[in-house]
Amino acid sequence: MELTTAGVATLRGDPDQAAKDAETADAALAASGDGRAFERLYRSHVARVHSLVRRMIGPDHADDIAQDVFVRAWTKLSTFRGDAAFGTWLHRLAVNVILARRSTIGTERSRYHDAEGALDDVAGHRATPELTMDFEEAIGRLPDGARQVFVLHDIQGYRHEEIAEMLGIVPGTSKSQLHHARMALRRHLER
Amino acid sequence: MNDKWTDRLSEYLDGELAPSERTALEAHFASCGDCRTTLEELRRVVMRARALDDRPPAADLWPAIAEHVGVVSLAARAERARRRFTFTVPQLAAASVALALLSGGGAWLLSRRETVAARSTASTTSPVLMNASAYASDARYAAQVATLERALETGRGRLDTATVRVIEKNLGIIDRAIRDAQSALAGDPANAYLNLHLAQEMRRKLELLRQAATLAGARS
Ligand SMILES: [Zn+2]
Repeated sequence: MELTTAGVATLRGDPDQAAKDAETADAALAASGDGRAFERLYRSHVARVHSLVRRMIGPDHADDIAQDVFVRAWTKLSTFRGDAAFGTWLHRLAVNVILARRSTIGTERSRYHDAEGALDDVAGHRATPELTMDFEEAIGRLPDGARQVFVLHDIQGYRHEEIAEMLGIVPGTSKSQLHHARMALRRHLER
Repeated sequence: MNDKWTDRLSEYLDGELAPSERTALEAHFASCGDCRTTLEELRRVVMRARALDDRPPAADLWPAIAEHVGVVSLAARAERARRRFTFTVPQLAAASVALALLSGGGAWLLSRRETVAARSTASTTSPVLMNASAYASDARYAAQVATLERALETGRGRLDTATVRVIEKNLGIIDRAIRDAQSALAGDPANAYLNLHLAQEMRRKLELLRQAATLAGARS
């Protein structure tokens, strides 16, 4: 291959690919022990990871679990091969960490729902278009199964087949949970 | 209100209905205002979900993560080293051994005993950190850097601009740190912290070049 100047290189890739390559470079540096490269990866992904954790299992353990995600990412960086985007790899790792923690946390959540009333409880008040919660909060009030499928499908972009495998359910259940979640969330759209 | 199609509307929205069902539902829309309204609401829910903003945690998690994985930012590391400047030379020598052992290519860092050792009480058999001036003139280091720079130059056309930018930015930061350490050492040649810092930065430069050259070679 001939030498290419930086100016010529600009014309080649699309910006998404360029950003992906920059992250792949940082991931390679981080895998070799470069803490600053890993800090850059942390900075660009922490909001996404923390929001994913918060939406999946609520705010109480979000810091703790998000931190765990990055600690595990550091130890598993050598398994990141760069075929997928670093973000895709990291978010999948985050889902695994979250799902491993959900059984203990799910118990706490159901107690909370019994006390406060889940989103389903307000289903009868559709005639009153009073918005007492914002959309994020409404997601948080969904029953566990519907909420997890909604976050994974409509926010994270996973397919039903992938979600079914992650959650240990059949794709048909994933589809009906998603529909259930969307139907409940209609009332909490900002108007 | 609800009819037999209501529960199929998400599947319709996601393009997951069989063609025959889709045709049947589209015929149903013509006569069912409820289904049309519900479909529109579901569509807005999906759009709203895609538009959600990601919020970072209220408190920065990095210090705790860095603590866990054993890395610290450069600023924190320099500050810590300044505070612990009473490190003995043998301790620093041990630290440099640990550093060099992290990468096989770094083993040669230990090959000389220079000013630091001469002024210390360290035993003559223990490997010690190189002195900055000897380091900078080390032919093997210069040769390794030159080889890797050539490899990177040859392969850089295979890297995207953003990658090249990240690499060059990092090289710039490291070169600046090396220059700073060298000029500081000129005024204080026996400063053990500065010697360790310079050795770290030079090793970091080699590592970065090695990674970058690998990346440039791999992406063909
Ligand atoms: Zn209908």
